[in-house]
Amino acid sequence: MGSLFSALTAAGQSLQAFEQAINVTQNNVTNANSPGYAEQVPQLISQPFQDGTGLAGGVQEQTQDTRDSYADTAVQQQLSLQGMYQQLQTTLAPLQNVFDVSSSSPIPSALSQLFQSFSTWATQPDNTDYQSAVIDAAQQTATAFQQAASQLGAIQDNTTNDIQSTVTQINQDAGTIASLNAQIAQDPTPDAGLSAQLENTLENLSGLANIQTIAGIGGQVTVLLGGQTPLVIGSQVNAIQSGNNTASNSGNPGAAPTISIFDSSGDDITSQITSGSLAGLLSVRDTLLPTLIGGGQQVGGLNTLAQGLADTINNTLAAGSTTDASPYQPGAPLFTYNSSAPSGIASSLAVSSTITGDQLAAASPGPPFSANGTALALAGLDSSSPGPVDGQGFTQYFGSLTATVGNAVNNANTSATAQSQLVAQAQSLQQQVSGVSLDEEAVRLVQLQSSYQAASKVVTVIDQMMQSLMDEIPT
Amino acid sequence: METTTEYGDARECLLAARQRMREVKRLLSQPSAEAADESAALLRDVEIQLGCVAVFLRQTGSKPDSEFRSNLEELQDEVAVLARFFAEADKLFAGWLYAVCSRRGGYTNRGQAAPLVLVKKLSVEG
Repeated sequence: MGSLFSALTAAGQSLQAFEQAINVTQNNVTNANSPGYAEQVPQLISQPFQDGTGLAGGVQEQTQDTRDSYADTAVQQQLSLQGMYQQLQTTLAPLQNVFDVSSSSPIPSALSQLFQSFSTWATQPDNTDYQSAVIDAAQQTATAFQQAASQLGAIQDNTTNDIQSTVTQINQDAGTIASLNAQIAQDPTPDAGLSAQLENTLENLSGLANIQTIAGIGGQVTVLLGGQTPLVIGSQVNAIQSGNNTASNSGNPGAAPTISIFDSSGDDITSQITSGSLAGLLSVRDTLLPTLIGGGQQVGGLNTLAQGLADTINNTLAAGSTTDASPYQPGAPLFTYNSSAPSGIASSLAVSSTITGDQLAAASPGPPFSANGTALALAGLDSSSPGPVDGQGFTQYFGSLTATVGNAVNNANTSATAQSQLVAQAQSLQQQVSGVSLDEEAVRLVQLQSSYQAASKVVTVIDQMMQSLMDEIPT
Repeated sequence: METTTEYGDARECLLAARQRMREVKRLLSQPSAEAADESAALLRDVEIQLGCVAVFLRQTGSKPDSEFRSNLEELQDEVAVLARFFAEADKLFAGWLYAVCSRRGGYTNRGQAAPLVLVKKLSVEG
C-alpha cells in the first residue's frame, strides 16, 4: 500500500508541477509585448524516490526568471544617452531660428542695411533723406537685437520650466519604484508582473537622468542618481529639486543665475547629472545659452556684439564733425543701451530718442579734413581689419555665434541618430539573452564584435576619403 | 564632358554610394554577425564608389554643382553617424562580453573577467 500511496502522491505533485509550467508559459505568451517583461522559464526537476522514506519521487516545477541584470543596465545606459541627445535636439532647434546667417535673417539683414545706408550717406553727407535712412536702418538694427534677445530669453525661460517638469517626472518615477519595492517586500514570492513594471519604470527614469540600480532582497532595487545620490531606498524616496544657483551670477548684475539640482539634503548634485534629458536641458540652460545671451558670470556673445556695434559707431561719430569748418562739432551718439546690466545690452539697445539727421557727423576733421571721412569710415567698419569685436567684423562675429549653435545642433543630430540605433541594439541583445547559455552568448558576442570591428575599419577609410573629397571640392 | 565607365559618372557613383549606405543602416538595425559582415561588404563598395567619384572629378576637372556637394555632405553626415555608432557599439559589446565572461569563469587575480575558455564537447557512442 505504501508504494501505491507514494505513487499517487508523486502523480498528484507532478500534475501540479505541469499545471504551473503551463501557467508560466501562458503568462509568457500574454506578456510577450508588455514593456519590461522578461520571459519566465519553467524548469521541471525530478525528485528522489525511495519507498518507505517519504521521498515520493515525481517532478517539481521551479520558475526561472531570464532577466539579465547586465542586459537591463546596458539598455538603461543607452536610453539615458538617447534621452540626453534627443533633448538637445529639441531644445537647440529654436536657437537656429535666432542664429541664422542667411540674408533674410533679421540681424545680418539689418547690419547689411545699416552699413549700406552709411555708404549711401557718404556720397551726399548733407542729403536729409540719406541721413534719415541711416537713422531708420539703425532703428531696424536695434529692433533686430531686441527681438533676438527676447527670443533667447523665451528659450531660456522654457528650458528652465522644462528642467522643473523633468525633475517632477523623476520624483514621480522614484515614487512608483518605491511603491513597487514596498509591494515586493510584502510578498517576496517572485512576481514577473511587478518585475516588468519595475523594469519599465527604471527605463523611463533612465531616459530622464543617469541612474544606477542595486538589486536588493526579493527583486527590490535601490536607485542612485549619478551613482552617488540615493533616490530610492526600499520604499523611501529622497526627492530632488531644481533651483537657482544664486551665487552663480554675483558680479554680473541682471544676468540670469544658473539652475542647479539639489538632493533631499539641499546639497548641489548638478555635476552628477551627466546623461538623460535632464543633463541635456542643464547643458543648454547653464552652458550654451549663457555664451549667447549671458548668464552666470558670462556677458554673452549677443550682448558683446550689441555693445561693440553701439560703442564703435558712437565713438566714430564722436570723433567726426557735423560742421565743415572750425570750430568742429562732434557728432551725437546714434545708439544707447543700459550699461549697468551687461547681460541686458542687446535687449536695451535703441536709437537715441533725441538724435536728428543734422547731428550725424559725416565729416572728419583730419588732418587732412574730409567732408565725408567719418561717413566713409562708418561704411567700412564691418570689413575693417582687425575687426572691432574681438578682432572680427560685426557680421563675422555674428557668424561665429551662428557656427557655435550650428555645431551644437549638428552634434546633437549625429549623436541622437547613432544613439537610436544603439538603443535598438541593446534592446535586441536584451531580448536574445533569454534561453541562451553563457558560452553561446560569449561566442556570439565575440563573433559580433569582430564583424562590427571589421565594418568599422571600412567606415574609417570611407570617412578619410570623404574628407579629402570635400577638401577638393570648392564651396 | 564626363567619362562614363561601368559605374557611370561621378553623380551616379555618389547616388550608388548613398543607396548602399541606406542598405547598411537597414542591416544594422538588428545585431547579427551576418548582418555586420554583409554591411562590411557594402561599405567596401561605398569605398569603391567614392574612389570613382574622386577619379572622375580629377580627370574631368569639372566643378560639382551645389546639389552634388549637398549630396556629398549628406553622405558625410551619414558616415559620421555610422562611425559614432560603431565606436559606441564596440563599447557596448566589450562591456557585455566582460559581464558574460566574469559570470562564466569569475575574475582573474587582477580583477579582470576570466578569459573565455571553450572546451570542445566530446560525444561517445557505442
